[in-house]
This record gives sequence, structure tokens and C-alpha cells, in this order.
Amino acid sequence: MAAEKKYEVHVPSVLGCEKVAVEFAASVAKAMHFSDDRVEDLKTAVAEACTNAIEHGNKMDASTKVGITLTVADGHLRVEIQDQGSGLGAVRAPDLESQITGTAEPGGWGIFLIKSLMDEVSFESTPQGGNVVKMMIHLER
Amino acid sequence: MAKPQEIVVRTMGDVSVIDIKGDVTSVTGPPIEAAYRQVTTAGAAKILLVFAHDCYINSGGIAILIGILSESKKKQQTIRMTGLSSHFQKIFGMVGLTKYAQIHPSEAAALAAF
Repeated sequence: MAAEKKYEVHVPSVLGCEKVAVEFAASVAKAMHFSDDRVEDLKTAVAEACTNAIEHGNKMDASTKVGITLTVADGHLRVEIQDQGSGLGAVRAPDLESQITGTAEPGGWGIFLIKSLMDEVSFESTPQGGNVVKMMIHLER
Repeated sequence: MAKPQEIVVRTMGDVSVIDIKGDVTSVTGPPIEAAYRQVTTAGAAKILLVFAHDCYINSGGIAILIGILSESKKKQQTIRMTGLSSHFQKIFGMVGLTKYAQIHPSEAAALAAF
């Protein structure tokens, strides 16, 4: 078994900076020979996790950072996205019908997309404070 | 960081066409909502959203589109979409948007379907 390789980048909590993380993750996934479809899945999941971290975790405080760690291992890529905020609390699954009829505000699709597109996902709090989203995408699905 | 956005409104027969280039996010959504209100005020019953193939769309942008679809349902307008990459066609299907706005492979196909 090959040794794991770890890559790390930090971006400021400014909307738009999630694209740096997205391109970073995509370049690693392409080098691992993920299919184009799976790279697109990863790009969307990373974008959503980073946007959540910027908006909800770090409350758009530009002095805070979002950390993105990619771990390359045999057959899979592990992605961890960490903010410096307090816990997000329970997130209710969005219901399109109620959003269309106007009984619920449109939104809440980020976590839905992350869970739908990645093979494994967990949401945790870190001992230092902050949230970390852990995602795994397998080369073979 | 955001791609420059360009929203253009035009008409093709009785269809109001909204061309969307650039990011579709909560930040860049208001001009798209404004374009929708513009065509609605002009009495549009048939609306086609034409996305540039390299559009970046996130969940905030999806929420903007849901808001537009919600309004269109109340106003009994028909909305169709085209130009989306295969990835975003998949995403829109996952979310369920295709139940409320059909996706077509080309502008010509979308216009013919109204």
C-alpha cells in the first residue's frame, strides 16, 4: 500500500475564495485519474462545504480562515474542510415542494448536495472549536 | 473571484429569453431576479432561461432559481431551461427543479417545446 499524501490550503472567509479550494481539489482529483463526472461532483461538494464554512461557520469574518486538507490514499481522496465557528446545529433536509409553494424559504441545499455527491460524509466539531466536514470520494463507485 | 456576470433579456416570438452568463449564486442572484421581474411585468407567460455552458451555480443560486420558479407557478408562467452542463443537469434533477422547469438540449428545442 502506498503512503498517504496530504495537501493543505487555507483561504480567507470571503465569498468567492471557495473557488481556490475547488480548483485545488479538482487538480488533485484529476492527478488521481478520477473521471470528469466525479471531479465535477467533488468541485460542487467542496464549493458547498467551503461556502457553508465561510457564511455560517466563520460568519464572513475575513480575518478567519477556512482550512482545506486533502489526503490522497489508495483508491480514495479524503477531504476535510474546517472553519473556526461554533456548531451549526441540526440542519433540516430541504423540501422543494414547500419552497415552491412558498411555505418555506428557498435554500438549504448545500448539505443536501454534499451528501448526495460524496461517498462518505460526516460533520464534526473539533476540540479547538470549529466545525469540520469530512468527505470521502472513491475512485471506483 | 466571481466570473463577470451578464444578463440579457430578449424575445423570440412569444417567449421571453433570459441569457445568463457568469456565476449564479446568492451574491449574483439579484440581477437574474430583476430580469425575471422585468419580463413578468411585460406580461411574459413563457420564459426560457439560457445558461452559459460554463456557468458556476451553487446552492445559493439554486435557491434564487427556486424563488423564481415559485413566483412563476403563482403567475401560471411556463419556464424552460437550456445550456446547462451535464453536471448541472444532474444537480437540478437531484434537487427536483426539473419537475417545475424542463431542461432542453438546445435553445431551438426549448423554443419548439413551448
